[in-house]
Order: sequence, then C-alpha cells, then structure tokens
Amino acid sequence: MPRYAMIIDLQRCVGCGACSIACRNENNVPEGIYWSNKITETSGTFPNVRYHYIPTLCNHCEYAPCVRGCPTRAMHKLDNGITMHDPKKCIGCKYCEFNCPYGVIYFNWGKPHKFWQDTRAAIRGGTASPEEVVREVGGKAVPYYNPEREATLPGIRPTGVVEKCTFCDHRVKKGELPYCVEACPADARIFGDISDPNSDVRRLLGKFRPFRLREQLGTGPHIFYIRGYNPAAYQPTKGGV
Amino acid sequence: MNGNKGLFSIWLAVLGVAIVAGLFTTVKLFAQGHGLFNANDVLLWTLPLGVYIFLALSSSGLTLLSGLPLVFGVQKYEVFAKRLVFLAIATLCGAFVAIGLELGSVFHMIYIVFSPNLSSPIWWMGAIYSLELVVLIVKFWRMHRGDWHSGFSKNLGTASFILALVAPLMIGSVFGITESRVTYFGPVMSIYCLVMAFLSGTALFNLYSLVVNRVMGNGVAAELYEEFAVIFAYAAGVVVVFTLLKYAIESATVVPEFLVYREFEHAFGTVGVFHSEVLLGLFLPFVLLLIPSVRKTAFGKILTSALILLGTLFMHMEILLAGQSHPVGPKAEQYPGFISYFPSIWEILVFVFALAIVLLLYTLGERYLKLAEAPE
Repeated sequence: MPRYAMIIDLQRCVGCGACSIACRNENNVPEGIYWSNKITETSGTFPNVRYHYIPTLCNHCEYAPCVRGCPTRAMHKLDNGITMHDPKKCIGCKYCEFNCPYGVIYFNWGKPHKFWQDTRAAIRGGTASPEEVVREVGGKAVPYYNPEREATLPGIRPTGVVEKCTFCDHRVKKGELPYCVEACPADARIFGDISDPNSDVRRLLGKFRPFRLREQLGTGPHIFYIRGYNPAAYQPTKGGV
Repeated sequence: MNGNKGLFSIWLAVLGVAIVAGLFTTVKLFAQGHGLFNANDVLLWTLPLGVYIFLALSSSGLTLLSGLPLVFGVQKYEVFAKRLVFLAIATLCGAFVAIGLELGSVFHMIYIVFSPNLSSPIWWMGAIYSLELVVLIVKFWRMHRGDWHSGFSKNLGTASFILALVAPLMIGSVFGITESRVTYFGPVMSIYCLVMAFLSGTALFNLYSLVVNRVMGNGVAAELYEEFAVIFAYAAGVVVVFTLLKYAIESATVVPEFLVYREFEHAFGTVGVFHSEVLLGLFLPFVLLLIPSVRKTAFGKILTSALILLGTLFMHMEILLAGQSHPVGPKAEQYPGFISYFPSIWEILVFVFALAIVLLLYTLGERYLKLAEAPE
C-alpha cells in the first residue's frame, strides 16, 4: 500500500493561488473555508525587506493530533496515509480543529454556499439572481458543482461538521493527481508514494534538504517543502569589513 | 418556598420562561447552525463550553464532597449526603444541556458508542460523565428508598467518587494534550481542573444549603456549616497556591506563546499583575475566609461562596478564551492577530437554559424529594 506525501518546491511556486482556486472548484469548498491556503509574512525593515509565501494544506500527519482526539473516529487515517473525515460520524465538537497545529481544518458554521441561494438579482433589474444561475446551469448549490467529489465524501458537507483537504482521495483512487497538483502552472507540487524508494517524492527528499511545518511537535507531516525563492545577490567581502 | 405559594409560582414561571427561550434557541441553532454564536474558526469554543466546564466540574466537586459521608463514613455529614448527590445530578444535567447545544451535530452522538476512539480525551470525558450521571441517579434512588448502607449502595457511592475524581482530569486533558497550545499548561491542566472542581462544588453547596437554610430552615447544626466553611477555605487555599504557581510560570517564561498571552489575555481586566476575576473571585474570598469573624457569619459564608462561584466561572472562561484567541497557521490570513469576544444573545440564552434546568431541578428536588433526609 502506498503512503502518499507531497513536496512543495518553493523556488518554483510563484504564489499565484491557482492551487487554491482549483481546490475550491474540485471539492465544492464553501466561502470562508480553505482546504488549500497559504501563510504569508513580511520580514525586515524597509528598504531591506523580504516577502515569504508558503502554500498550505492538510499535512496528512503520520501521527495526526486530529485523528487521535476525534471522539467518534470521524477523522481517521486511510491505509494510504491520507487523513480522511467522515461527516456522518462527526458530532461537530471541533476538537480536531482545536487540536490541529496547522490551522487547516474548518467548521461549517452555517448553511454552505449561502450566496448561491440568494433569490435577489445581483443587480436589480439587470442580472439574474445567484439562485437562478445555479438553476440555469444545472448546478447543485453552486453553478460549478463537481459531482465527482461525491465518490468518497458528500459533495457539499452539511452544517455543523468540519471539513478539510483529503489529498483529492477521489482522484488519487482513480490514479489521478490531486487537483492542486494538476492545476499548478509552475509544477511546484510533486505528489507520490513516500514508501517507494524510486518515487519522485523520495528522490527529491534525498536531493534537497526539506523542512516541514512545526516539525518539533512530532506529528510527522506528509507535506515537505524544498528550496526557496531568493534571486538576491550580494557583494562578497571578508567578514563584512 | 413552602410558606409562600405565590413566590414559588413566580419562581417557576421565571424558570419556565427561561426554558422556553432555551428550547427556542435549540431549534434556531440546529436550523441555522452555530454561526449564531460569536465563535469562528479561530475562537472555536466560547461561552457554552465555558458553562459546560463550570457546571461539569462543579458537579464533580459536589460528588467528591459527598464522598465524605458516603465513602469515608463521616457520619455527621450524612445529613448533607442526599442533597449533595442530588445537586451533583442536577448540575450535571445542566452541563449536558450546555455541551449538547455546543455540538454542531448532536444527533451523531450515537457514534460515540458505535465508533469509540479510546485515544480521545473527549470520548473519555463524555463516557465518564455519562456513567457518573447514571451511577449518581441509581445511588440517589437507593438513598431515597432508605438504602444507605447496603453493600450495593456503598459501592455506588465509591464508584461515583472515583468517577468524579477522574472526570475533571479528562476535562483538563482535553486542553492539556494539545501540543500546539502550550498556554494550556499541558498535563498540569488536569490537576488544575480537579482542584477547581472541588472548590466550585464546595462553593456551590455552601451557597445553596445556606440559602435553603435561610428560606426553609432545615435544622442542621450550625457547627456542621462551620466545618464545611473550613473545608471550603482549604479548597480555596489549594487553588490560590496553584494559581500563584501558574502566574509565576507565565511571568517567567519566554516561550513566544506566553509572551503574547501576557500581552493580551485579560478578558475581564487586571488589577496590577493579577486578573480581576482571580483577585475578586479567588484571592479576596480566600482572605475573607481566613478571618474567623467573617467566616463564621452566614453572610460571610454566602458572600465568599458567591464570589468564588462567579470567580471560578470567569477563570474557566479566561483560560478557555486565552488559549484560542490567536489564529493558527494560515488562518492568520483571514483573521486579525487577536480575536476579541463578547457572547451573542444565543450564547447567553444557552447559558440561561442550562442554568434554568439546574435551578428547576434543584427547586423540584427540594420540594418533593426530602433532600435533608439522613439514615436513622
């Protein structure tokens, strides 16, 4: 059985956010919820400043705190290492979200995709209402509804349960790549079997010095980051003298 | 309550209104979702969970106190035993109302039984408190039937005592085993919950029994209340020491999370270096309890109990909110660096609902269940 992992090459990543948009489309992710997200930070003082961009998603930890803490095993590990969630078993206690050190689990506080249920015209007398658009294009809750998501998870998760990235398990099952990997225009995401010594993932982990988020917590994240974008050069000196 | 039917009816009507408002809140919550709370994906657990912690721990404290006559055989306290067990049951019912309305999908609770996760402190917490409620009800039933000293009845008392010892540890571990939230103090949180349980349980019992004594008169010797006031002072002393230790660690450490904590976490304001609720709800009543002329008066006992009861509720809220008021990881992209909080009307109504259930049960129990009964 493979153990899936992902490498994100920070030198290739241009921070375009295509991964996040693709993820939303593929998984019918509601507003306010981000299965695929980013951490940005600015360091230094002007004019010596630097901008960091780290794409994030569920780390599918080897020793996942969310799985350990879930009282009903709604959050569970698949044999292939994917951390999966079963909304039917979820009691909405939010302990997984509380326990996750990476801030990648979200709770459905209200009716998902509320915007698209609005029956008022977007511009009065000028356009259709969101609800009409959904109806006209034959969507389900959203005009861009993807029914393929239903293969392993409710297409739209109900109110009162949590949700998070599943590594697109419904695609992986069919031998396809997670959609964020597929959509990345810079090929900055490498997905594969970490238990296979000949996989690209293993090859790159051997070649570069990877880091993982909050590695000191011992959760064993399966998202690895390699390299870093830094075009800056500086004048060589002897000890800055 | 016996003497004044009019007042009793008004009291029941007030509780009835509170319960109807609570039922309306329940329907609203499950129809519209928990977006009605002033909670979000950073501040996940708010007033309803704080109320649950407060009531559940108080219930454990009451059960621990009932162990004095029922487990350790201190006969002179048997006059309090039945009331203690009943109060523990009623308080726990209120706690279950609060947690039930905190959960997003309470109807999936069946999977707690069918798909248990034994590595989850929440599972253990739920299982132990449910078992404790059952054991307490059976124990109360035996006492009500006059069976105080049979082997079965004694074993029930011991079982409820052990469950009440373990349950607060489980509540503490829900927070304590969360590696990424160091301001919850890890395993120490369990011990903190246990001592807080004993303190709030003792405060609740003192306050309740003194008020009932004033209203109805129950013929209990004044010395017994004196002795309970001393137990109360000891319980407060333990929490004072624990809290000072917590302050010392918080102020000495340079762990980044604690630095932020020191900067921002004063939900209810501070007096000097101390949080207001700790100063007014713990240190002040503890000092008052050390003064014999205050401790020995009914007013002094009622005042200190009320202060500590409120203090423990606010202390639980402070700890609960402080550990989750900063976004984790990418959530900082969506939310400000520090989340402020004031409960929504729906959260307040959950609090009112839970409290009304507790008070209604207290009222009915006091009226119909002969709570001052003791064995011959």
